[in-house]
Amino acid sequence: MLYRIRHVTAFQYDQPIRESMMELRMRPRSDAGQRCLEFDLSTLPAAHTRSYTDHLGNVVQHFDIPGIHDRLEVTAAALVETHAAAPAPTAPDPAAWEQLDALADRAEFWDWLHPSHYAIPSERLSAFAESAGLRRDADPLTVLNNAREALHAHVRYDRGSTRVDSPIDECLEKQSGVCQDFAHAFIALARGLRIPARYVSGYLYHRTDDAEPTGHGATHAWAEAFVPHTGWIGFDPSNNTVAGDRHIRVAVGRDYKDVPPNRGVFKGAANQTMDVHVDVERARGD
Amino acid sequence: MVPQSLESAAGGHVLDTPYNEMYESAGAPRSHYRILQDRLKELGTEEIQRRQQAADLSFLQQGITFTVYGEKTGTERIFPYDVLPRIVTAAEWDVLARGMTQRITALNLFLHDLYHDAKIIADGIVPADLVYSCKHYRREMRGIDPPRGNYLTVVGTDLVRTPDGRFAVLEDNLRVPSGVSYMLSNRQVMKRVFPNIFRDYDVRPIDHYGQELLACLREVAPVSQAAARIVLLSPGIYNSAYFEHAFLARQMGIQLVEGRDLVVHDNIVYERTTAGLRRVHVIYRRIDDDFIDPMAFREDSMLGVPGLMNAYRAGNVTLANAPGTGVADDKAVYAYVPEIIRYYLKEDPIVDNVETYLMTRPAERDHALKNLDKLVVKAVGESGGYGMLIGPHSTQTQRDEFREKINAHPRNYIAQPTLSLSVAPCFLEGNIEPRHIDLRVYILFGAHARIIPGGLTRVALRKGSLVVNSSQGGGSKDTWVLNDSPDS
Repeated sequence: MLYRIRHVTAFQYDQPIRESMMELRMRPRSDAGQRCLEFDLSTLPAAHTRSYTDHLGNVVQHFDIPGIHDRLEVTAAALVETHAAAPAPTAPDPAAWEQLDALADRAEFWDWLHPSHYAIPSERLSAFAESAGLRRDADPLTVLNNAREALHAHVRYDRGSTRVDSPIDECLEKQSGVCQDFAHAFIALARGLRIPARYVSGYLYHRTDDAEPTGHGATHAWAEAFVPHTGWIGFDPSNNTVAGDRHIRVAVGRDYKDVPPNRGVFKGAANQTMDVHVDVERARGD
Repeated sequence: MVPQSLESAAGGHVLDTPYNEMYESAGAPRSHYRILQDRLKELGTEEIQRRQQAADLSFLQQGITFTVYGEKTGTERIFPYDVLPRIVTAAEWDVLARGMTQRITALNLFLHDLYHDAKIIADGIVPADLVYSCKHYRREMRGIDPPRGNYLTVVGTDLVRTPDGRFAVLEDNLRVPSGVSYMLSNRQVMKRVFPNIFRDYDVRPIDHYGQELLACLREVAPVSQAAARIVLLSPGIYNSAYFEHAFLARQMGIQLVEGRDLVVHDNIVYERTTAGLRRVHVIYRRIDDDFIDPMAFREDSMLGVPGLMNAYRAGNVTLANAPGTGVADDKAVYAYVPEIIRYYLKEDPIVDNVETYLMTRPAERDHALKNLDKLVVKAVGESGGYGMLIGPHSTQTQRDEFREKINAHPRNYIAQPTLSLSVAPCFLEGNIEPRHIDLRVYILFGAHARIIPGGLTRVALRKGSLVVNSSQGGGSKDTWVLNDSPDS
């Protein structure tokens, strides 16, 4: 599938500011099942944008604006081609748990197997796993799908119910959360079963006839878990689906803290408000 | 006046008899201390007292002070100074210098490996858990190549002398080691207070420290050495080592700046000066990683420079030391340094570590928990003597508290035998008495290692105390490294 994405972030300051600096993770990745064919970033006021690739392979754009301003608008435009992931194996693999445990000794899996800033185990989460019957019995893929369904059944997607930095416990207790909460809870559950898991920030293309709760006009987040022989598989517990060719991956990290779409600092005693709008449209392939 | 025998100052607890720096046996000074003993006898107590007072006054007038954290009042103090020098022979120093060169070389390779292929983990020498659970391991440093592959420009390594007379490394300070200004000031005061004794010995100079440091900073610059503009970045006047920051900037003839004096634009670091922005190429930073760049690390830091890591990553500025070096001076990682030396250099360590029990290993933890009254327990990420339990001097309540902490967070603690640190004579209130000492040596590394022949001998001034940290009531004395033993 070919998608054209337009991601506009507008910052408004109630007092003039200066020396603002911003770091963005908005360029879709070119790996696994997708390729970023075009990418353009523009800012208003205009700034010279630079980029680097972080240690997780995410492209980070950054810029600074020295002069006085009270508004800042960032527009990221991308053309991305995605491919449906190869179908996951249906036959359970009883040796998979042992193969997973062998990964635990490998340095590159350490971060995906241990608690991180927002994906922290808790008593409430353990109780939830217990009640949902999530344990190492079937094969990893089955258990992960059960975790996705259990979360979806327990927690109601409610835009604006929690902030992005809300802990897992709050979303389990209130039984409502946003996509970040679903992703963090899923990651913590998977890591609790010693399955490598990571956070994905990105976009979702909504078809008009889809009844997905995660809305239009916003960024999206889900999780990936590592399953032997298959590799990383995306799980979208907010929408109770496996990530497919409508999921556009922008950045991966241990949790939200590693990959916020934007973070920045500025000088001046101003309050900042942020307005985000995302458009994902099908593009015609030539 | 000079005591004939110096008894153990360990205060009634069963420790090995400490190595005596001055006396081989009762009344018999080691050959390199003989001249000192003779001169002190000639001077007499009153005269030594007068010179001690002159020294104290000199420190006070120079404003050489430090700050003690965690006390409500009177946090600024003069660093207590003992007038009697500690003397190290050429032969002893030769071993130390080779040992420290070996150690810094291996630690530098270790850091490069951890932030690139992590072969030492894949090969099973250092556990992944230990490295990746360390709060000083900076994932942001992965894949970054510092100029010359140099992560460690300034290192301060703490050594103790064990009862058999050998030096052993107690800990490495690889982040922002401090104390070198005391080493330099001690020497200046010493030359004024005891000019004759100083002349009687052939003491190696240390006054070139600032120039050597400057040379190292130039050698790691991203531009030609002649073009490199270097600044010292300090957290400011509330930092305990602010005196030292100002002192070193003056010695090197470079600007002393704070975070707000620097600005990053388009990945280039500039200093705000009265003549406009001036580019900066090398930053000798005395700010911890956490606070150095609010974009990359702690967002609430007001001390740092936003965007500094981006400029660093782009190769436009050198940070000395590099971010992320703290993973290699974590006290649990320290236990692996002998293995790290063997792994990278295929050599045995020239200077050993002190025996260390890791609380992550069940057998060693059990042993430690059973012997808390005999051991020293240290928090792995702390320095300056904070977060420590000295078993023989502890109360039951303190031991219970540490037992709980160790069981809750074994990764955060290590234990070591209570070391019988060597003793040296100190002039205290008109008497010469033995006190426990250690030695911090400073190693500089630019294109190659430079070890300043001297160091900061720290003294546990309280009788029986084994804690030499300035923040915990320690003092210091001048350290003389001889060109040759006086009678050889």
